[in-house]
Amino acid sequence: MNTTIQKEFDIDQPIGLVWKALADPEYIVTCVPGASLTEKVDDRNFKGEVVAKFGPIKAIYNGDIEIQELDEANHVMVLKGKGLDSKGKGSADMIMNGTLTETDGKTHVKFSMNIAIVGMLAQFGSRLINDVSDQLLNQFVENFKAKLAGESVDTDLSAGSMLGAMAKSIFGKKN
Amino acid sequence: MIECKTSKEIGGMGHSKKRKEDARFIQGKGHYVDDVKLPGMVYMDIVRSPYAYAKIKKIDASKALAIPGVLAVVTGKDLEQYNLHWMPTLMSDTQMVLSTDTVMYQAQEVAAVIATDKYIARDGRDAVIVEYEPMPPVMDPFKSLDPNAPVLRTDKEGKTNNHIWHWEVGDKEKTEDVFSQADVVVKQQMHIPRIHVASIETCGCVAAYNKVENHLTMYMTTQAPHAIRTVIALVAGHVGLTEEKVRVISPDIGGGFGGKVPVYPGYVIAIAVSFLTGLPVKWIEDRSENLQADSFARDYHITAEMAGTKDGQILATRFKVLADHGYTDASANPSKFPTGLFSIGTGSYNYHNAYMEADAVYTNKPPGGVAYRCSFRVTEAVHAIERITDIYAREIGRDPADLRMQNFIKKDEFPWASPTGWSYDSGDYHAGLQKAMDAIGYHELRKEQTELRKQGKLMGIGISTFTEVVGAGPSKDFDILGIKMFDSAEIRVHPTGKAIARFGTKSQGQGHETTYAQIVAEELGIPMEHIQVEEGDTDTAPYGLGTYASRSTPTAGAAAVMAARKLRDKAKKIAAYLLEVSEEDLEWEPGKFFVKGAPEKAKSIQEIVFASYTNHPPGMEAGFEATHYYDPPNLTFPSGAYICVVDVDPETCHIKIRRFVAIDDCGNIINPMIVQGQVHGGLTQGLAPAMYEELIYDEAGNILNGTFMDYLVPTAVESPSWETGHTVTPSPHHPIGAKGVGESPTVGAPPAIVNAIVDAVSHLGIKHLEIPVTPYKLFKELKAVGYFK
Repeated sequence: MNTTIQKEFDIDQPIGLVWKALADPEYIVTCVPGASLTEKVDDRNFKGEVVAKFGPIKAIYNGDIEIQELDEANHVMVLKGKGLDSKGKGSADMIMNGTLTETDGKTHVKFSMNIAIVGMLAQFGSRLINDVSDQLLNQFVENFKAKLAGESVDTDLSAGSMLGAMAKSIFGKKN
Repeated sequence: MIECKTSKEIGGMGHSKKRKEDARFIQGKGHYVDDVKLPGMVYMDIVRSPYAYAKIKKIDASKALAIPGVLAVVTGKDLEQYNLHWMPTLMSDTQMVLSTDTVMYQAQEVAAVIATDKYIARDGRDAVIVEYEPMPPVMDPFKSLDPNAPVLRTDKEGKTNNHIWHWEVGDKEKTEDVFSQADVVVKQQMHIPRIHVASIETCGCVAAYNKVENHLTMYMTTQAPHAIRTVIALVAGHVGLTEEKVRVISPDIGGGFGGKVPVYPGYVIAIAVSFLTGLPVKWIEDRSENLQADSFARDYHITAEMAGTKDGQILATRFKVLADHGYTDASANPSKFPTGLFSIGTGSYNYHNAYMEADAVYTNKPPGGVAYRCSFRVTEAVHAIERITDIYAREIGRDPADLRMQNFIKKDEFPWASPTGWSYDSGDYHAGLQKAMDAIGYHELRKEQTELRKQGKLMGIGISTFTEVVGAGPSKDFDILGIKMFDSAEIRVHPTGKAIARFGTKSQGQGHETTYAQIVAEELGIPMEHIQVEEGDTDTAPYGLGTYASRSTPTAGAAAVMAARKLRDKAKKIAAYLLEVSEEDLEWEPGKFFVKGAPEKAKSIQEIVFASYTNHPPGMEAGFEATHYYDPPNLTFPSGAYICVVDVDPETCHIKIRRFVAIDDCGNIINPMIVQGQVHGGLTQGLAPAMYEELIYDEAGNILNGTFMDYLVPTAVESPSWETGHTVTPSPHHPIGAKGVGESPTVGAPPAIVNAIVDAVSHLGIKHLEIPVTPYKLFKELKAVGYFK
């Protein structure tokens, strides 16, 4: 199944700083819930692990991350991720496009992710994926902002709080 | 009222007897496959593919084997050594048992884990690591025929495309002539969605091979135990499992609906493992495995066309079908009928030109095409004819009931030779529809509809007047793997006048233990309480092809009648001997023979049976038993007139079935209460695809609703209060005039419901809706025609 998630947010930091942080996988991974880098292949290729929990389904993806485009002049980046479930229960592919713009010393971040999921997660968790992903991204944004501001971040996946947050997002929807 | 020939005590045909089997079912004392526990039994779980189409690069079982209690991990390569990695399907195609190199659908069997208990087996399953190389799957049956589509069945030598077979029936040229000259031609593309039988009990088995005796006992969820025994012997005879060494036991079955006819890989793996280890092996699917891997039903893409006159006379029909069979044709049709009995699709109407064709294709979906509570594709055919008839009526501005009345075959026109080759045995379609219209108050409802539309309210009335074809089937045309589709009964009456009757069929909830007993009671006058019915054990029951497609009453029920009549002939001879009169002087009334003109001189059936063991006439064989294998001369053609009334919320598009009247004609009725129960269940299973159920796949091959969280089976909450009734037009060729009823409501309900929903919104510009009609789908359609801004 395919899903697209788009997000925009503002950070009260100059664009140069935000760009430097976003363009550094080793920095950014510390803000992603459940993610860790296991190997730096070269400047543009990395190996990592993502633990994802969607309702009753927990999956560990071992994957490759490739920086396909890193246009500092225009502040545009394209990331490609490819993950295989560690137990052979499926796979996930991701393309992320990110753009930064600056207004009044603040940075506006806009990115979209296309995720294609095959296997158990799609079979059992398809109804949850959008909500959970959205929640994960919100957590990422919070972490990212906090880290840039020099605060400590918590990237643990907590099933309890995740479910709670998800329920909130489902029942609290305005549209 | 149904007239009964027997007393209430005897309880023959027409009595609403409570079901004998329910005593154990309602007390939780049924005995299902999962209740079978044997000493030393081990448990099997199955590793399944997460991909719809992929190469298997490597299977690493080391972590699974390291778990204490995991005994073995079996792969396709292991089975290949015994040539058991592939098996034939009922449609002469081939199917993988365990894949050796390529997986063809999501949830396909890749390896089996054997362990000392089922939880360890599941842990073992999760610990088997399989490396795949995914390939882009072919999910769309139309794209499957594209010349550039990858050829999926590379295992088949010389296969250059994904086409399986082409089928056609009727006179193409004459039909085209009629179409080209007709005043009115209507055409509609429709999809009968892929659905699942979703029986309460999933599939499973206990394979128990005894090495010392070289004997296999196979407890399994099968609707056709005898056929399965023969198939096992044909497939495994080369390793020593010849037919006398195989005993198949089908215990209580928690719903079959066609889904327990095929042979699934799990059964074969369990047999292979038991054969190799000498240990009993239990395999029970979980719900998701059942929904995702086992036989689906339907999935026909139909283009239906009807030609007619401006004043409502149907002249011809033309149906073109694309059948999505998944990666192999594992349908459960009679051998000569690749589209089953789809050719019944000319319906209840008097016209003489029809042409139908079908092409089947492979895709990366699970195999199947089972006859889900349906005589092999009758549901698809009835949906097409009943939808296109409504579309035709609307096109020429005619009332759909009125148009049907005009076109029905009249009751004195039977036997009716249909343009696709059937000989309908009997029917009274006018009486059925009239009864349904009277029951629901049809004309008042039409007036109400006009008023409601003025107020902006959406209400619709839908009709389905279907003709069914059941009771497969006459040996001339009907066989499965060469075995003719007769069925059998054996009646053995004990010295005290109580009987055991055994059958080649197998109840999955239909109530055979009651209805068969009533048939024998009707013929022999022995109280039905004292007739024990037994089925499902191939060592004891006579050979038969099982229960599906509403065939039990038309075939095995008739066999019971014939066997009982043989016994009644014998009883007459004994009675004449005991009463010292000639046979011609005797007359029968249920339960006894008496001398004409002297009713006090009589012998009861119990006295006669006792004499057959204690004082039988010289020269006559002792005992009181008979067997009959019944080969039906024709199929039976039940019919029905269903009317549905829906109210659609004009803001939320919520669809509420206000009323549903079902008038069925299944010929003579054996047990009215059981028939009513069958109709209630069948209607709910007809509501399912009309408004709720569909197996949904994405382009990557994922099933998106492979659990009961997402696959919506209607429950009592969603079901309206069904109103049932009947007309009785006996089958002229069936010995007790019965026709079969189990599947009629499942077949007849969907078009009645969707016709009603379309009727509710037709004035807004909607001509057709694809099933399942969900509120969201209806919303989108109403938005497309500008109803919602």
